[in-house]
Amino acid sequence: MTLNWIGLVAAAATFFGIWFGHVGVRKIEAASPSLWLPTAIAVALGLALEIGALLSGRLYLSGALGIVGMTVLFDALEFTRQHNRVKHGHAPANPNNPRHARLLAEHKSARTTDWLKREPVGHPVDMAKEGAK
Amino acid sequence: MTLFGLGLGIATLFIIGLGFVWVIRGEYYLGYLWWPYVMGLGILLIAASLFVPSVWASALIGVAGASIVWGSTELKEQAVRGEIGWYPFNPNPKPQPPFAEQIKKWPAPHL
Repeated sequence: MTLNWIGLVAAAATFFGIWFGHVGVRKIEAASPSLWLPTAIAVALGLALEIGALLSGRLYLSGALGIVGMTVLFDALEFTRQHNRVKHGHAPANPNNPRHARLLAEHKSARTTDWLKREPVGHPVDMAKEGAK
Repeated sequence: MTLFGLGLGIATLFIIGLGFVWVIRGEYYLGYLWWPYVMGLGILLIAASLFVPSVWASALIGVAGASIVWGSTELKEQAVRGEIGWYPFNPNPKPQPPFAEQIKKWPAPHL
């Protein structure tokens, strides 16, 4: 029986795309003073990858480029979504980033701590009472 | 010119989008301790995709498998999100998975 490797290639591309969308977007958004630059780069890269997928005559390459390209295009939106998470305190602000410093100054909800870095305890937790900022 | 990659990319976005939904619902009703079983299901799907002759079916099963593996790594953070009030918290007892006490000792992976 011949194995069909396209599923494994698609799985690897998907996992890489999701991983970058989580880790890469978080790190780049936290470090970048502007949002438009990483957003524009993601749009250009995503479109280039999709054009590559269209023009590639090789099925595996076309599939991988198509998946990664589409997740990179979605990452372009994620930079703004991540900025809003920081504003609402759902992601930690980087005080060394002027854009985040402004969020910290203008929005009470913004904070430098990551509230998700804790273990589940099985009951609701009042983070304000715990003194977390 | 082939539309395979573009089509697969669009399908992947939908499958990843579904991932957000089932992670939220799955954690709400079952709890995060099921993560090893969810991860196992995702790995099994990826392995099964090797034996599917259809290119489209194999690719979509692989994408679904990878999305499920990712979802398994999100369950613990989703539990925390519920506990700190960012998502509804389910106060009802959740079904314990087999070997729950052992699973509690393992660090739940996260991306």
